[in-house]
This record gives sequence, C-alpha cells and structure tokens, in this order.
Amino acid sequence: MPEPIVEAVDVAKVYQLGKTEVHALRHVDLLVERGEFLSIAGPSGSGKTTLLNLIGGVDVPSSGTVRVDGEDTSKLTERALTRLRLDHIGFIFQTFNLVAVLTVFQNVEFPLLLQGRMTSAERRRRVNALLESVGLADHSRHRPSELSGGQRQRVAVARALVANPPLVLADEPTANLDSKTGGTIIDLMREMNRRDGTTFIFSTHDPKVMSHASAIVRLEDGRVVGREEAQGAAGDEAR
Amino acid sequence: MSTTSSRARQGRILLEMAMRNLVASRVRTLVVGGIVALGVVVVVLGSSLLDSIDVGMTRSIQDSLGGHVQLYNAASRDPLALYGGTMGESVLEPIDDFARLKAAALTVPGVKQVVPMGIDQAMVSMGNVFDVALERLRADVRRRLEQGAPAEDPDYEAHKAHLRRMATLLQQELRQAREIADETSGVYKDRKADFDALEQAVQGGFWDQFDRDPLASLEFLENRVAPLSLDGGFTFIRYVGTDPEAFQKAFPGAQVVEGASIPPGQRGVLLGKLYAEEWLKLRAARRLDKIKEARELHGRKIARDEELQRWVKENTGQTRDILLQLDPVRTREAVRRLQAALGSRETDPAKLVSALLDTDDRNFDERHRIFYAELAPLLQLYTVKVGDFITIKAPSRSGYVNSVNVPVYGFVEFRGLERSALAGMMSVMDVHSWRDLYGYLTPERAAEIGKLKERAGATTVAREDAEAALFGDGGPAPAPSAAPRAVDEPALLAGSSGRQSREDLFGRRYTQAETDAGVALNAAVILDDPRRIDEIMPKLVAAAAGAGMKVKAVTWLEAAGIVGQSMGLLRMVLYLAVLIIFAVALVIINNAMVMATLQRVKEIGTMRAIGAQRRFVLVLVVVEVVTTGLVFGGLGSILGILIVHAVGWTGGIAATNDTMYFLFSGPALIPRLGTASLVTSVVIVFLVSILSALYPAVLAMRVTPLEAMQSDD
Repeated sequence: MPEPIVEAVDVAKVYQLGKTEVHALRHVDLLVERGEFLSIAGPSGSGKTTLLNLIGGVDVPSSGTVRVDGEDTSKLTERALTRLRLDHIGFIFQTFNLVAVLTVFQNVEFPLLLQGRMTSAERRRRVNALLESVGLADHSRHRPSELSGGQRQRVAVARALVANPPLVLADEPTANLDSKTGGTIIDLMREMNRRDGTTFIFSTHDPKVMSHASAIVRLEDGRVVGREEAQGAAGDEAR
Repeated sequence: MSTTSSRARQGRILLEMAMRNLVASRVRTLVVGGIVALGVVVVVLGSSLLDSIDVGMTRSIQDSLGGHVQLYNAASRDPLALYGGTMGESVLEPIDDFARLKAAALTVPGVKQVVPMGIDQAMVSMGNVFDVALERLRADVRRRLEQGAPAEDPDYEAHKAHLRRMATLLQQELRQAREIADETSGVYKDRKADFDALEQAVQGGFWDQFDRDPLASLEFLENRVAPLSLDGGFTFIRYVGTDPEAFQKAFPGAQVVEGASIPPGQRGVLLGKLYAEEWLKLRAARRLDKIKEARELHGRKIARDEELQRWVKENTGQTRDILLQLDPVRTREAVRRLQAALGSRETDPAKLVSALLDTDDRNFDERHRIFYAELAPLLQLYTVKVGDFITIKAPSRSGYVNSVNVPVYGFVEFRGLERSALAGMMSVMDVHSWRDLYGYLTPERAAEIGKLKERAGATTVAREDAEAALFGDGGPAPAPSAAPRAVDEPALLAGSSGRQSREDLFGRRYTQAETDAGVALNAAVILDDPRRIDEIMPKLVAAAAGAGMKVKAVTWLEAAGIVGQSMGLLRMVLYLAVLIIFAVALVIINNAMVMATLQRVKEIGTMRAIGAQRRFVLVLVVVEVVTTGLVFGGLGSILGILIVHAVGWTGGIAATNDTMYFLFSGPALIPRLGTASLVTSVVIVFLVSILSALYPAVLAMRVTPLEAMQSDD
C-alpha cells in the first residue's frame, strides 16, 4: 500500500487580523492518494487557498499536521521547506506568475537551475520536451508579455512539471482565463496527470472545471463538508 | 553534478536575471548608474589631480628647503615654519653647536646629509641711482688725483654731465611738488634750503668750479643733493643662512639662474630670483613683464583690463627711472635707437621712452621686444647685479641692529616654487654672515672680542667673585694692565680700516669644521630613502639626546607650515566632495532598489514558492546593484581616464594665478593617473553598492512565498 502523497490530520489555521482571530481552517482532515486529480471546491473565503498553501509548504498550520510525500511540513526548517517545494511540488498560480524578464524557455528552466542537478544539454532536452507537450515549442524565445493568458498558463504548467514533481498544486488556475481557454488548460493538466501519474490538486469554484476532477473535496467556512468521487474516476486508472 | 558547477549555472542565471532586470527598468538603471559614474569621475579626476599636485609639491619642497626631516631645538616656543608662519617668523631657540648635532645625526643609519639652517628676514639697503652715478664720478676723481688729469677725459666729462642732467631732472620734479606745497609750513622751509642746493647743482657755475675742488664738490652732491632723490630706501629679504656647498648638494631644486654658486667656505649671498624681479628690477621693465604675462598666460587684454591700463599709464608717466640711468652718451644712443625702432623723428628722450611704453593690445609684443632689444642693453635692469656688495641689516637677538656686507654671487630659483610669494622669495646666504646678523659668535667675533679684552686688560670673572675682584679683598693690587698708557692711534686706525678687514672677510675660506661649529636654528636632514622618514625620525631625536641635545624632529611637510597645510586642506575638500557624492549615491541607489524590490514582491514570492532559497533572492538584489555599480563605475573610470589624458594632451591645466602656479609647482598641471586612485574608486564603488543594496536585499529576503498566491496585483 503506497504512502498517500498528502495527509492532513486535524489541521487548523488561525490568522491574526488586527484584534480579531480569523479561523481560516478548522479540524480539516484530508487524504490524497498518488495519481489523484483532485479538485478543492467551495465559495470564496471557504479556505481553499489556505489549504493549498498548507499543502504546498508555503505556510504552516496553527495546529495539526500536514505531511507531504511523507514529510511533516511543520517540523522542517525554512531551508528544508523551500527544498521540499523545489523537489516535490509544482505550482500553478491564478495570475500565472512568470518571471517577466526571462524568456519562456528560461522560465521553464528556472526550477532545474535551482536544483542544479542536470547538465545544460539535459535541461534543454527536458524543457523542449515539455514545451512541445504544452504546445509552445515555437514560443521558447518569447517573453511572457508577448503571450496570451492561455499561453502563459501553459508555460506555468510546463514550469510546474519540469522538475518532475510527484505533486502539482494549482490555485484557481482558470480564474483569469475565458472558459474555453480554461477548459484547454484543465485538459492539459488532466493529460499530464494521466500520462505521468502526477498528482494534481487544484482549487476552483467553476463547476465546469470541477467536472474534470477524479474527486472533489468541498470546503465551507474552513471545514471539509464532503468528498465526492467521480464516476469512472480518472484517479482509478492511476491506481 | 558537482555543487560548484551547479552554483556556477545558478550564478549565470542570477547574473542574466540581474542584467535583464536592469535593462527592463532602464530609466532607474541610468539614473543610478549616472550617479555612480559621476562619483567615479570625480574620484579619478580629483585624486589624479591631487596626486600630481602632491608629487610636484613634495618634490618642490623636499628639493628646495625641506629635505626629509627637520630638526630644531625642542625648547622652541613656536613650531618650525620654513616658509614663514601666519604670524611672521617663528621664534626658535638656537641649536648651540651644529657640529655636534650633525655628528650625532650622521650616526643614524640611512641619514645621508645634515644641513645647517637659519631662516630670517632682514632689510637690504638699496642705493639710489644718484649713488651709482656718484660712485662712478668718484672713481674718476680718484683716478685723476692719483694718476694726474689727462687733457682729454671723455668718461669723466660724460659722468659729470650725467650727474648734472640728473640734478636737472630732479629739479623739475621738485618744482612740480613745490607748486602744490603749503608755503607756510616748517617742512616747506626745510625743503627750501634743499631746493636752493639743487638750484646750485644745476647751474653752470658749480660745474665750472667742479674741477678746482672735486672732492668738496662731490661731498656737496652726496650730502645735499643725492638725499633729495626719493627712490632707494630698503626692501625686506627673506633668506636662509646655511652652508652653501652642503645646501646645493642637498637641494637640487635650488638652481642658480644667473651668476655662480657661492664658492665653498666663503661668504656671499644668492638672491632669490622672484625677490629680484619684484623688488630689484627697474619698475618699467617689471610692469612690461607683468603685462606680457597677463596677456599671454591669462588672456587679459589691455583694452578691457583696468589694471593693465593702469600699468601702461604708470609706464608712460614714470620715465624718470629710465632717464636718470642714461648719461648723455647713452641718451644720444637711446634716442637714435628708439627713433629707428619706432620710426619717429622725436628728439626728446622722455617723449621717446614714453612713446615706446605707450602700449596697446596691437603693438604690445613689438614694443616689449624693442624695449628689451634696444633700450635694455643701455640700462641696468636690476639695482643689484652679480658682483655687487649689498648691505643687509637685521635686529639681532639682543635687540640692536646688526648689519653685514655680502657679495652677491648670483640669483637663485627654487624649481617648482619660482612664483610662490611664500617660497619663491627666499635668498640663500652663508651661515657665517647669518650668525653675524643674528648676533651669534663667529670665529672672527670671538677673536676680536678676545683681542679687545686683552688690550683693555679685562679678565673673566665669575659672578660670585665679582665683588672681590672689584673692591679687593685685601689681596693683590689692581692689575698692572689697567694703568694708563698712551693711545696707539695708527694701530687702532689700521685695525678698523674697513677696506682691509673687508678683504680679509671675503677672501677668507672657512673650513668645514669652522662652518659647522656654531649655531644654527634648524637642521635639514636628507635621507637615503625618503620612505623611511617615520622610522628614522625618532632615531634622530634619540641620537641627538645621546649627544646631550634636546631636539624636535618634524617631517618636511610639517615644517612647510602653511604651505604644507594647503595640501592637506585640498585633500580634505576632495574627500568631503567624494563623501557627499557617494552619500547621495548611497541614498538614491538604496531608494531605487527599495522601490524596485517592492515592485517585484510578487515575482520574488513566486521564485521563493517555486523553490528559490532566501540567499538566492539576496544575491539577486546585490548582484543587480553591484553590477550597476561596477558597469557604470567602469564607464566613469574610463571617462575619468579619458579626461585626464585629454587634459594632458591639451597641455594641462594652466596656472592662472600665483597660488595655482605654486600648487602646480610650475606653469601648468599635467594630471597623472595613479593606479591608487583607480583602485580606490573601484573599491569605493564596490563598498557603496554593497551598502546601498543591503536594505533592499533584506527587504527582498523577507518576501514570503505567500506573496505569490495573492490573486490581485
């Protein structure tokens, strides 16, 4: 029985906002198996982003534990947490978040450079292969500002996957895209999930986007209110 | 993959990102870079200027008077100031026995030479032109008395005619003065007697009678007429009394520009060239020189410059100095030459000379040439010439005025300090004459006093025995030498014969031991290696202490007084300017980078989320700033180097006034590039960049990956 990729146990997150305490998450338990294509759904303010931040190791829980690929994030140093994000997690952002001064190629190459494990030839092969698979092989020398929103998000997908992480997190990846483009991005993510068995966790409040998920976890007021498995779930194939 | 190569790759992307960030925000980069470049230009330019000034001044001062170390009596109230202090000459206690100090100093390894010095001011009596003309006539009279009067004696007649002409000129001048005088004042009555005497000297009768009693006539001219001439008087001279031979060896910057060095061991003086120009030169010639310099060096124009116009006016109005020098023969020659040169038919010499000196911008160069080519050879341009004896007076330490006669061997100039009113006026005199002037015992004085004592029967009596010696203590009768005796008049007269003792004095050669034995005020020490000054200074003090002398040692720079301080002041001003520029640069770079960091919070957060360590972000910011600093600092350096070379190619920075001439140690400053100034500027830029990057870098480091997750911009 393989270890779950994400395991959150009784997680709470409390923000101090002036004098009032904001309970972003309360008593959340979550288990994500490897190869899942999981959607976290819920209205604004329900705690979707907070939960993704905790899973992504960019934030730590106020109580409870979050284990990612077996590591307890609250027990890691800042340095080790950064290393965890680099080696185990890919990020896709709502606002794409490409480095404006780097080319498409360099943006995708960036995590590999931070890792510093590959030779430049290996890196070139890997980056070109990914750009090919997101359909941007011809745009490798372009700057992000020269691309459309959908193209930028494809670059972001390629960047998230380039280091071959077991887990990719995407916070509202289609929120800044029109529904057609958003659909193609979800399709692309799904394709990568199927092809490489990479686990995807993405938040959304768009039912159309949710429909692609292998499972949907619903959040309300910082609590998990339900988990639905899709029929003929994509996740099953990976198992 | 090894860590090193992965670091190298990271470094490359860092650099690339930094460069691209810089290019992406061009305006900010240009503003920051421009300030850095400006700062570097100032550093490179300023420090190479200062270095050149420093090198020049160091050489000028060390080679002219300063040496490397100066020693003087530690009991002195004032500090030693070779070029004079702000409050006049510093009062130094003497070094009683220079020979002992020299011997002690020479025991210190690395000491090459020790030169005695006594610097002081004195008055030089200037004879007037009457005295010169009278001296010539007196020589004629003496010759005629001794050898008999020839029937034809053109020199004698010419000299007589010259004096008569001078008296006429003087009379005209005084007549003008009388017209505006108050006839009732006592002064006027005194002057009237003088004027009557002058009247007499002009009349033909006086000159007809001259040959009958030439000595009485000469006396009349000397005592009654010559004093009416107002020129002459005295000037102040600043000199160093020293061992001339040692001085010239120690100070290669002291160059004899006319005449010859003072012969070894002899008395004599070398007059400062600038002093001679300022005080001894014929005023009209001096003014011509100054107009020429103002026009050529400073681009001034007579037509537009009130001062130059005044000089021209003074030259045309005051031709008397020139006319007085010309006897009738020379006057005729001068008229002939000037008529030819000016193409004039004027026969009045006064009008011709006035016409010659009436210059404007168009004819100045030609007139200057005519003056020096045609008229000057007929004149004595300087009141003192090589071979003359001058009388120098100074108050001695005990208060009464001493005077010495010294022969002028030549004129001396200090290389690099030629035009400095502070340092260029200096004359060089033998140490024996200085000791005489200053009231210290010289071998002759000691011998003379010894002789006088012997003759008067004085004996040295200790203070406590004085009473007994004076009033007796029942002891022996008064000394027999106190008995009255006849005065040996011829012997006394022979002993005080001025001519005799003068030849004794000036023909005499002093041995090195005699020159060294005696007082000095300070001693210049020359080292084999000037870089060892700081190390050798305390050893010199210790060596002197070992010989029983308490001396103070100062570097040449300290001894140079205000001259040295001006260097330090310049340096301070530059440092302050550099400090201000870079403080401003620091604030601006810091601000710009803080802004840049705040603009890029999301990008930095993204990099952190993706897995960039804090250090990566820190280095990114620092690399950006340091790259800007080094690139623009490099550009600034190149610009500075180009400017320095350009200034050199165009002949350097011309000294437009005497202060600059002095600072530049010459007519122009050619800045030389020092590696030190380049290295300094690079180091400063590097430090300033790092410092100004620190705060924005820390800000950037504090950006959390959470910033990447904010959905709004």
